[in-house]
Amino acid sequence: MWTTKTFLKKRKGSVLKIVREHYLRDDIWCGSDICTICAHQNEELVLEKNPQPKNKKFPFPHYIVLDTCVVLNQINVLEEDALCNVIVVQTVLEEVKHRSSSVYKRLLDIVGNPNRKFYVFVNEHHKDTYVEREPGEKVNDRNDRAIRVSVAWYESHLMSSQADRRKRDRVKVILLTDDVDSKQKAENEGLHVATISDYVRNVEDCPGLEDRLSQHNTTYELQAGGREPLFPAHFTPSQIHQGIKSGKLLQGSFLASRENFLEGQVNVEGQDKMILVQGRVGLNRAVDGDIVAVKLLPEEEWSVPSHMVLQDEGDDSEDVLEEENAILKSKDERVAKLPTGHIVGIIRRKWRQYCGILQKNPIEGSVRHIFVPAERKVPKVRIETQQADILSSQRIIVTIDSWPRNSRYPLGHFVRALGTIGDKDTENEVLLLEHDVPHSKFSEAVLSCLPKLPWVITEKDVQSRVDLRHVDICSVDPPGCTDIDDALHCKELENGNYDVGVHIADVSHFIRPGTAIDKEAALRATTVYLVDKRIDMVPELLSSNLCSLRGNEERFAFSCIWELTSEAEIVSTRFCKSIIRSRQAMTYEEAQIKIDDLTQNDTLSKSLRGLNSLAKILKKRRIENGALVLASPEIRFQVDSETQDPIEVEAKKLRETNSMVEEFMLLANIYVAIKILEDFPECAMLRRHPKLPVSNFEPFIKAGRNLGFEINSESGKALALSLDNAVRPDNAYFNTMLRILATRCMMQAVYFASGMVQRDEFFHYGLAAPVYTHFTSPIRRYADVIVHRLLAVSIGADVTYPDLLDKRKSHSLCHNLNYRNRMAQYAGRASVALHTHLFFRGKVQDEQGYVLCVRKNALQILIPKYGLEGTLYVSPHKGAKQNVTFVYSEEKQTQKCGDVIFRPFDPVTVQLSLDRSNVQHEKIVLKLVHPQIPGFSVPSLSSVKRKESDENLQEEMEISEVSVSPPIEKISTKKQKVK
Amino acid sequence: MAEILLSEAEKTFILHGVEEGFRCDGRMRLDYRPMEVETDVVSHASGSARLRLANTDILVGVKTEIDTPYPERPREGKIEFFVDCSANATPAFEGRGGEELGTEISNSLATAYQSSQTFDLTALCILPGQQCWKLYIDILILECGGNLFDAVSLAVKAALHNTRVPKVKGACLDGGTVDLQLSDDPYDCCRLDVSDAPCLVTLCKIGDHCVVDPTAEEETCSSGSVVIAITEKSLVTSVFKTGVGSFHPQTLIDILKVGQTIGLSVNKALRAALLEEEQQGRKKECFGFLK
Repeated sequence: MWTTKTFLKKRKGSVLKIVREHYLRDDIWCGSDICTICAHQNEELVLEKNPQPKNKKFPFPHYIVLDTCVVLNQINVLEEDALCNVIVVQTVLEEVKHRSSSVYKRLLDIVGNPNRKFYVFVNEHHKDTYVEREPGEKVNDRNDRAIRVSVAWYESHLMSSQADRRKRDRVKVILLTDDVDSKQKAENEGLHVATISDYVRNVEDCPGLEDRLSQHNTTYELQAGGREPLFPAHFTPSQIHQGIKSGKLLQGSFLASRENFLEGQVNVEGQDKMILVQGRVGLNRAVDGDIVAVKLLPEEEWSVPSHMVLQDEGDDSEDVLEEENAILKSKDERVAKLPTGHIVGIIRRKWRQYCGILQKNPIEGSVRHIFVPAERKVPKVRIETQQADILSSQRIIVTIDSWPRNSRYPLGHFVRALGTIGDKDTENEVLLLEHDVPHSKFSEAVLSCLPKLPWVITEKDVQSRVDLRHVDICSVDPPGCTDIDDALHCKELENGNYDVGVHIADVSHFIRPGTAIDKEAALRATTVYLVDKRIDMVPELLSSNLCSLRGNEERFAFSCIWELTSEAEIVSTRFCKSIIRSRQAMTYEEAQIKIDDLTQNDTLSKSLRGLNSLAKILKKRRIENGALVLASPEIRFQVDSETQDPIEVEAKKLRETNSMVEEFMLLANIYVAIKILEDFPECAMLRRHPKLPVSNFEPFIKAGRNLGFEINSESGKALALSLDNAVRPDNAYFNTMLRILATRCMMQAVYFASGMVQRDEFFHYGLAAPVYTHFTSPIRRYADVIVHRLLAVSIGADVTYPDLLDKRKSHSLCHNLNYRNRMAQYAGRASVALHTHLFFRGKVQDEQGYVLCVRKNALQILIPKYGLEGTLYVSPHKGAKQNVTFVYSEEKQTQKCGDVIFRPFDPVTVQLSLDRSNVQHEKIVLKLVHPQIPGFSVPSLSSVKRKESDENLQEEMEISEVSVSPPIEKISTKKQKVK
Repeated sequence: MAEILLSEAEKTFILHGVEEGFRCDGRMRLDYRPMEVETDVVSHASGSARLRLANTDILVGVKTEIDTPYPERPREGKIEFFVDCSANATPAFEGRGGEELGTEISNSLATAYQSSQTFDLTALCILPGQQCWKLYIDILILECGGNLFDAVSLAVKAALHNTRVPKVKGACLDGGTVDLQLSDDPYDCCRLDVSDAPCLVTLCKIGDHCVVDPTAEEETCSSGSVVIAITEKSLVTSVFKTGVGSFHPQTLIDILKVGQTIGLSVNKALRAALLEEEQQGRKKECFGFLK
């Protein structure tokens, strides 16, 4: 016997009418032990013969039938053992599955428990209980009717088997529903019916059951009819075009917030303040990086960033938008508001392929899964795959296809798997891909541009270059450095002045313009340093051999030679292409020893001492001019030589020699910048560091003021001074933290072509230099190669070519260089974060940390020892219980709990451990140790036996976690890193 | 067209009969054979009808799809006819045998439906210039007993009458793409107004007279036919001639007049039949061969 079901389905822009055959059977049993009609197998007799539910309202034996809303809302009650002998009709089961996979799973667990006596009745295929949808009837109404029909069927079916029983012993069937309409109809049909709360209140022998009743009857409001779209429609391209033309809309790139998935900013060109966008409607399906059209809201609707650390925790495919309002509404009126807008259209998608992990659908066998990108700015993606079991333990790449209006997450598809999660190679691959670092092997075309080995210096080369092979030159670099691109010399002249030279590897000699190797290097733009890996900009033959100024080898160099007085006043400057032979490639440490060991009196030691003393004068002068000394936490891993796993972490040490090399590199860069700008006013490649409007420093100044320090950000010099003065004797790390924060307030230094920017914007704020460029590291930076070429042309050592003098081409090149540099920096930080994770595997440690800033629901903690910044959540996750409440004060930037107050910069002790409970998402967990807050903090490791603390760890896993992302946000300065 | 082998004597008999106003099956010259029509016979289609005219058996299915409208007619939907001459109908249709006939019929339907005063295509518009419904009308000739044009056109009209286009609750532009919201209730549909859809009436010239609804045998005796497309409002939307014979202008005028009255009554009869069927509601019995 069969009938057909008809429904409409929308697929790929078309509407299909689908007709399925639906079989109705006469051999579906009722599952009751009373029944004498159905041909049950023994194990199918789930429902008891004489159920004994103790209920005051229904003082007779009965079975219960549940309605969908009841299951969805009151699953907690159902999980209690109180309700037994329940019939779950298939209609309900299907609908629950459709609405919420988590509730569905819980319901299946209950059904699977034989003690609970839950029977699933397949009413949809039973010939007597199948109900066809009537014209004009809503799906929910049909389902409710189907449930009522099943109840009525059970009632009459059971009656016929128990005609011989006494009337009050007869088993009846009770429908539990919260739907008023359905209840009314059931009453009219003469069924026993009650609301769940009514029923539960009358259950005897089970105190506390009532407490578990969810009061949220509206959590899962079953929508009538079709689902309304979650997002407003985007404007059409022509509407956007007109809107932008008329000024009603603004165009900009969307930057999603890393901390709050419901917030982001739109960077509109030509506006100094970013436009804030909030909420799902405000973001309207924009993904980080998209070029969007944004509509500014009227000023009274402007808003402030929410100060919330919020991650998308939606664990399954439901499209329930709870909580959003709560997040958005909690605003403080007093804080200065930012221009706020709504994104109304996407001008250009910048979707790329995303790395991440698969979050398996809790329903076994389902092919629809959620993909969680590694980058927190990117929303989760819904994909379909058959191989979820294999993929769930792998890092995978997914691409986004579309984002329809009715879907909470964009739709995408699986591209490829990278490897097992947690495997270091896989993770490295992930972070290279995530940061768009080109890391494939060099192509044949590129390799064919390399000079043939053995490479010899010809007579012609010697003639065209200045021979400096007789000069005592040495290089100073970090240990293990193979791409040595700078070397120095210093010689006392007869007139008491010094002859100082900075010799830079002559990379432009090997990389000729327009060749494959040049194009590749321009694309890569920079060498990327990961903790255990280096992604070269140029092939290794050049970077570690022919260009590298190794000790006792003859190499080509580009030299910058000054005559300086002993007061470090520059008498003359000259540039030349040269041949040098470095006497020794030293490490910072070796050089330092040579300087300090006064018994050594060879020429190298003398020249190092000369350099060192000159550098000190130069540095002092530079700082007097208003250069900033900034800080960012940097660490170094000691790596196991075999497994490459980190075994120890230490903060990077800075020696005098570091600063010595740095000073001369700065000097060379500045003088080269002056020279090329003079000769190429339109197309010189320079580097600038824009000064920020004072407003950007406001939160920082406020933080300082709360602690009684006045920070003056009027000028670089004033800032440098006020930073120097802000010292607290009780907190040695305070000053460093202030500098870290100051760094974060600043803009990033950028390359630019001199013809594209106004002259007065050339200034380098951080270094307090009127012009600046990069000249000293051509092996690892492409900008330096260009500068080399420009300089070579200006001293007549080389010929020019058209692209070099085209300011627009230079401009677009700068764009790429800036982008790659930024990405390389992020990749480096991500690599450090990754190794920190590896380091913490299986470790629990108490560490000294500092409150970096106070958030509404969390404290950002900086742990200097590991350069690690983590989040200590002070308000519980949803669902978790916490006995302690913290009070947040936005004005004072504090979190208060009882007597304990957390202010920015306060020292705390935290316990660090790696939460590996979720293989896919390991995270470092922070727990408070000191100051102690009963019920919140954990005992320190030393005071407790190890075992106990592990147990604690399990319990409080949820309380806090650490961000894996690089600690510094989008605005941060480039610290002058001179290798 | 599928030719039936007839001897000279048989042809003469038919010819003389028509002359006298008698036809082999006892009809008058302007009588139709009995017709059966049933709609909603193919559950997978959006609309369907089966029409049987004595030995002529036609099955029509209507499929609705979303398409972009023609740029010159942004506010109109599309309609497309396709005729499949099944080899079941006659062995001559085997292989590509029925193709030519199929094209002829579909072209004649397309012409008949082309006029803006017939079937209202603007009702099929979803979003002007962006999206519209396209109706694919698939006609299957199951048996060939003469007078295909009339039978097909009636079946098409019945199928269109039965067609239910999914109701679009909301349509708007989401960026450059169209975003549709459909009602999820399969009963919540739009009906099409077929009152202006034309029927084709074939007037077959046998000897000096014209007959309607010719049988296959009569078609063999005919030198030519005039097919008139006519709506319920007695609007003639197209006229064309098939066969090799010629018509005297006066005859043609007479034929058109006759055709017009006949067309009206056929339209009326079909409408009455469809209404009667609809009144039986969802409980109606299915006769279609598919059930």
